[in-house]
Amino acid sequence: MNAPKELLYAKSHEWVKKLDDGSVLIGLSDKAQSDLGDLVFVNLPAVGDSFAAEDTMCDVESVKAVSDVYAPVGGTVSAVNESLIDAPEAINKDPYGAWLVKLTDVSGLENLLDADAYIAVCGEE
Amino acid sequence: MIRNLQFYQGTGTNPYDNLALEAYFLQHCPPETCILYLWQNRRTVVIGKNQNAWKECNVDLLEQEGGFLARRPSGGGAVFHDLGNLNFTFIAPLPDYNIDRQLEVVCRAVGRLGVNAQKTGRNDITVDGRKFSGNAFQTSKGIGCHHGTLLLDADMAQMARYLNVSAEKLQAKGVSSVKSRVVNLRTLCPSATVGTLSLALLNAFEETYGLAAQRMDSKRFDWEEIRRISVTFASWQWRLGREIPFSYELEERFPWGNIQLRFCVTNGKVSEVQAYSDAMDAGFIEKIPVFLQDLPFSLSGFADALTPLAQTPQYATMVTDLQMLLRHTPQQAQGGESE
Repeated sequence: MNAPKELLYAKSHEWVKKLDDGSVLIGLSDKAQSDLGDLVFVNLPAVGDSFAAEDTMCDVESVKAVSDVYAPVGGTVSAVNESLIDAPEAINKDPYGAWLVKLTDVSGLENLLDADAYIAVCGEE
Repeated sequence: MIRNLQFYQGTGTNPYDNLALEAYFLQHCPPETCILYLWQNRRTVVIGKNQNAWKECNVDLLEQEGGFLARRPSGGGAVFHDLGNLNFTFIAPLPDYNIDRQLEVVCRAVGRLGVNAQKTGRNDITVDGRKFSGNAFQTSKGIGCHHGTLLLDADMAQMARYLNVSAEKLQAKGVSSVKSRVVNLRTLCPSATVGTLSLALLNAFEETYGLAAQRMDSKRFDWEEIRRISVTFASWQWRLGREIPFSYELEERFPWGNIQLRFCVTNGKVSEVQAYSDAMDAGFIEKIPVFLQDLPFSLSGFADALTPLAQTPQYATMVTDLQMLLRHTPQQAQGGESE
């Protein structure tokens, strides 16, 4: 499975990319998109929404299934990737390019896994 | 590992109450437990969480005839429910939520009635390529919910009338239904009833998991909470007011000219109306948007709202023609359920 080294991961299969200004981008891992199957719809949160780590942040629909996406860290939504509304399949094609939300005021980064630890967790499932 | 089975057979037929009870079970599912909930809705079209109601269902006709439009929190397409249909729901915490095993319960249950069903495609159950069960799924807060219809003796003619819409006029984002060939179980097993099918499901549930199911006691449910959830499911906001924008177009030629109406709808309400016509009376055409702006999307509601425009005999004729166009019922199409 594909899990780039430069990203951090949550056990609930979201990836986190640290940006220079202290904010983070969040998306679904390659394993998540592969388990979910073809994505047909994405419900994104609103800019300004705040989440604690492990809160339900948004949901996605794939093959008749609606699944919660959890916030891997705490923070406030400063941007959402609106292009996914028209093209949810981008998550299947390019999971590490198709970010869902950008969070600021981030907390809890220290609880995330690096790529090797995440691959190990996936192996146990 | 599943150590407890719980079973509940619903008694009411109101779709919002039934969906509320399902949501309540999902929110309160104990660990290591699988719940089987059986329920029936009277005359209802249920659409998926991310669908456009007007694209999937003839909402006006359904509501005029006393039916319900409901939106469920799971994915997938539109289905028709009546008392000839039995719904099942499996709820279990995610580590023990197993769609294959749950589908096996359904296949075993209909097998007990002598129907040889197969799991096909991705999570479908069919008999000779025809579908009698549409399934949909949801995972939330660590709990999985898998529910589906079982067509026993559903009114296929009603189903076709409510679900067949001339959707090419409606441009919307959202999930589209896929039409399937459907069959009622009663035609394969004439003696099957809701009672025998329910019992077969309970027996197959216990057999598949190798445990005895405990019947849930409705006196111990928090009915206040269930009622609150039901109000949400019944609300216009949840059913029709979703933020996904869409547009709808109508075009018709009348003796007095050609007219084209285009509605942009946001949050379920008309955000913009464009009216084009080659009719001689441009003043009439210009007034139409004024009467329809900001209304909740409903073609029959638009028809009613135009009545005050009939200020002269000539306008009255044009209004009557437009009202006929707006109230026009789509032709009955052949075919079945979409899912």
